[in-house]
Amino acid sequence: MRSAGNTHAAPSLDATSRLWALAATGLCLLVLLLQLPAGLAWGTAALAVAMAGLSWRRPVPGPLRLLLAVAIMGGVLTVMGMRFGRDTGCALLAAMLALKPAETVNLRDARSLLGFALFAPFSAFLLDQGPLTLLLATLGVSTALLALSRLADAEVPAGDAPRLPTRQHLWTVGRLLLLGLPLMLATFWLFPRFPTPLWGVPERALAQPGLSDRMSPGGWLDLMADDNPALRVQFFGATPTPDEMYWRGLVLWDFDGRDWTRARGMPPLPDGAAPALPPRWDYEMMMEPTEQRWLVALDLPLAAPADARLDRDRTLTARQRMNGVTRWRVQSTPPADFDVALPPLLRERALMLPEGLNPRTRALAAQWRREAGTDDLAIVRRAMTWIRRDFAYTLETPLPGRHAVDEFLFDQQRGYCEHFSSSFTTLMRAAGVPARVVVGYAGGYRNRFGDYWIVRKMDAHAWSEVWLPQRGWVRVDPTAAVAPERIFDTLEDRLGAAGGGTLQRNPLFDAGDWLRRGWNDFVLGFDARRQQDLLRRVGLSRLDTTGLGTVFALAALLALGGMAWLLARGERERDPLLRAWHALGVRYTRLGLARQPHEPALAWAQRVAASHPAAGATLVPLSQRFAEARYAAAVSDIPALVRDLRRHRP
Amino acid sequence: MATTLRQRVDRRMERLARPRQPEPLPIRLDRRRVYVLPTGFGLFYAVLVGAMLVGALNYNNNPALLLALLLASAGLASLIVAHLQLSGLCLDALSADPVPAGQPMRVQIALSARDHRARRGLRLACQEVSGVAPPMTTDAVVAELNLPTHRRGWLDPGRLRIWTTQPLGLARAWAWFWPRQPLLVYPAPESHGPPLPETGGGGTRARQQASGEDVHHLRAYRTGDPLRAIAWKPSARRDQLLVREFEQPVGVEVELEWSALTALPGEQRIRRLAHWVDLAEREGRRYRLRLPGDTVLGPSQGAAHRHACLRALALLPDA
Repeated sequence: MRSAGNTHAAPSLDATSRLWALAATGLCLLVLLLQLPAGLAWGTAALAVAMAGLSWRRPVPGPLRLLLAVAIMGGVLTVMGMRFGRDTGCALLAAMLALKPAETVNLRDARSLLGFALFAPFSAFLLDQGPLTLLLATLGVSTALLALSRLADAEVPAGDAPRLPTRQHLWTVGRLLLLGLPLMLATFWLFPRFPTPLWGVPERALAQPGLSDRMSPGGWLDLMADDNPALRVQFFGATPTPDEMYWRGLVLWDFDGRDWTRARGMPPLPDGAAPALPPRWDYEMMMEPTEQRWLVALDLPLAAPADARLDRDRTLTARQRMNGVTRWRVQSTPPADFDVALPPLLRERALMLPEGLNPRTRALAAQWRREAGTDDLAIVRRAMTWIRRDFAYTLETPLPGRHAVDEFLFDQQRGYCEHFSSSFTTLMRAAGVPARVVVGYAGGYRNRFGDYWIVRKMDAHAWSEVWLPQRGWVRVDPTAAVAPERIFDTLEDRLGAAGGGTLQRNPLFDAGDWLRRGWNDFVLGFDARRQQDLLRRVGLSRLDTTGLGTVFALAALLALGGMAWLLARGERERDPLLRAWHALGVRYTRLGLARQPHEPALAWAQRVAASHPAAGATLVPLSQRFAEARYAAAVSDIPALVRDLRRHRP
Repeated sequence: MATTLRQRVDRRMERLARPRQPEPLPIRLDRRRVYVLPTGFGLFYAVLVGAMLVGALNYNNNPALLLALLLASAGLASLIVAHLQLSGLCLDALSADPVPAGQPMRVQIALSARDHRARRGLRLACQEVSGVAPPMTTDAVVAELNLPTHRRGWLDPGRLRIWTTQPLGLARAWAWFWPRQPLLVYPAPESHGPPLPETGGGGTRARQQASGEDVHHLRAYRTGDPLRAIAWKPSARRDQLLVREFEQPVGVEVELEWSALTALPGEQRIRRLAHWVDLAEREGRRYRLRLPGDTVLGPSQGAAHRHACLRALALLPDA
């Protein structure tokens, strides 16, 4: 016995508990660090390790901590280029969390350390929602809960008694998580969602790799090696063949000799301007987060889906940045009579080229124009024949010089889609054929497991559109003329080209992606709209917030009740015979005939019989049988006795 | 001493909390008398998870929302677990060996539970003294508290608080036992009191001294023998504890009389008599205690007689 007195001082922290708290913090921090720029992540990790080591015996002095904090904030802001964005905030949080072990002295500090650590996986989700982050975050949070359990155990002075083994802590925390699961899921599906956010999501300070509204030949090498999905598509009805799968993303008009960029200030498509064409393809796309606003769509979308806008170029722009998985239902048609009446202003813009660059291309184009007269189509055909005959596909290209198009067309004649589309478009413009560059994705791969199509980031593609009289904008893909297999590829082609890779087109991969899609569908892409869909499917249509709140409250109460019941069940008497016997005792206690603690069963029954002969007539033999079943070695028919005990009413 | 707000709140809670009067043993905690409130850390955790929930809902960031919900529901489940740590617990007995007033009293608290769930980190508090119950994995455990004693007579331990912050330290579950089980406190013996009053003839003194030295024989140790009677050297030789049996002091009964101590005020007298009782026991002499109201105890000797005498002294009305 030790009387600790009624002290309010926080209990001290033993070495093992400290280790647990630090390990949990480390795991949580790791989740976040994986999403930060490498240099910053390594720096933060080193700081965390140093702080944990330095403060092992005694806390790091206050002035030093302050100095470090200021230095770190400065460092983070410098790395982030003094821009404050979502990732800057996360980096600051990571740095502060790395510094926090320095002031962890007692048990209370360890708890607040763990509390802050829980924020790290949360912020990691603001940057990435991939499976690795999810897995690590789950691990980190579980470890943090384990550490909390350990701290709660360490809080009680135990003297020489051994601490609870880790296995027990695992069981405690695992049970808590399992018990909480129904409530968590009920809340997740049913809690009223905000249809529009209360405040905006801060942007990232550093851009993510991916398709953007700027294309410079040679810039997509990383993207072409990224086999993560960019979108998953499910077709309803007709499915396009792979060589029809041109997912148009952005239309780039402006060329400065090096970069193609999107034209600013394009007016939106006026209502009714789109010709009423019958839809050819009806499909739903699930886009992975891009942090951008532009969407892709097959050829020409007929109308803008909700929360998006259809632009003059017949491209789609979402109202909000796509920070999470989003879902879009679109109907499209192949291009025909696309913008046949081209306004002069746009025509002029589609012919603009930077002055003084690429003289050889201009000369060749002028020569072709002279020879073709007014036949634009002949010029296009001539260029394509040339490219098909003399050009080759490669991902290994030298850095472009000043006259990049000249170099490509006349010297190298090897490159990939960015070079082909850029040079072809320049050539067309020089020859007086209105042309523009389109970036997006081409092709796709059908997942046989779930019967949907996957478009990967490596399917990123750039092609050209030329404007021909009476026909409007027509797609021309010079890369496809050279290496069709590199565009509408199947995975086999790519594997053959790469000499075998980690990616195998096997059922396991398909099943994995199918699971991922399900996760995207039910968890990542779940929002207010999807919630209404879900409720409609179970027959609850048009629920307002109050109605939804009621449904949620009911479900939550049910889940809470279930939790309590499950737990209470665990604490009841295990032996059914004793349980029935105790229940019987409770019934008699209500009549004021409680069995005294010291009273044997039979003596009690006889006492009851003396005052209540009617009840006693059954109770006495019952208690006799109970005593025999309980204490005599002879095995009697226990289920029958339990049944009789339960049935007996005084 | 100024009472802090916390103490005042605690006292108010105590008055409202069940039970509202003492109860006979055994006392079983049912779910209606177990209280659960978040700890300071629990509140911090709630604010943290709340902030996460609002943020995740606003950004419609579903993994973040799931994470926040996971933490929230685990926290809620821990409240229920904390509650169940206490409900079903039974206080079977409360006992303590009497001690002289002023010395801490070792109170033994027997706890059991009908269900076989493991209970850890149960803490007990009674009159500003707190202690820890051993982990309950088996059926019953005995926890101990060292209660301070101030005056002789019946000590009412009052309410016994039992609490735990298991399993995560987010919530404190507590309950009150109020056993109707007074504990006896002996009067504090006078320190450095005078030797025993000698009422017999002059020969007794010599006999008494002889009794300290002349060992009549040795016999095996029996429970209750005073430690000082153990013959350590012979015990070591024989591998068993041996006790010196002195020559039975004959005719050396000591008369301890309340009425003979008229010079002392009441409480002093009680202390003097308690001192003499102890002294007589130590010297192995038979003694008789005469108290007001014709109460005569003895003559006798031994633990039972000592207890009877000290109990009678302890329960004398205040002078």
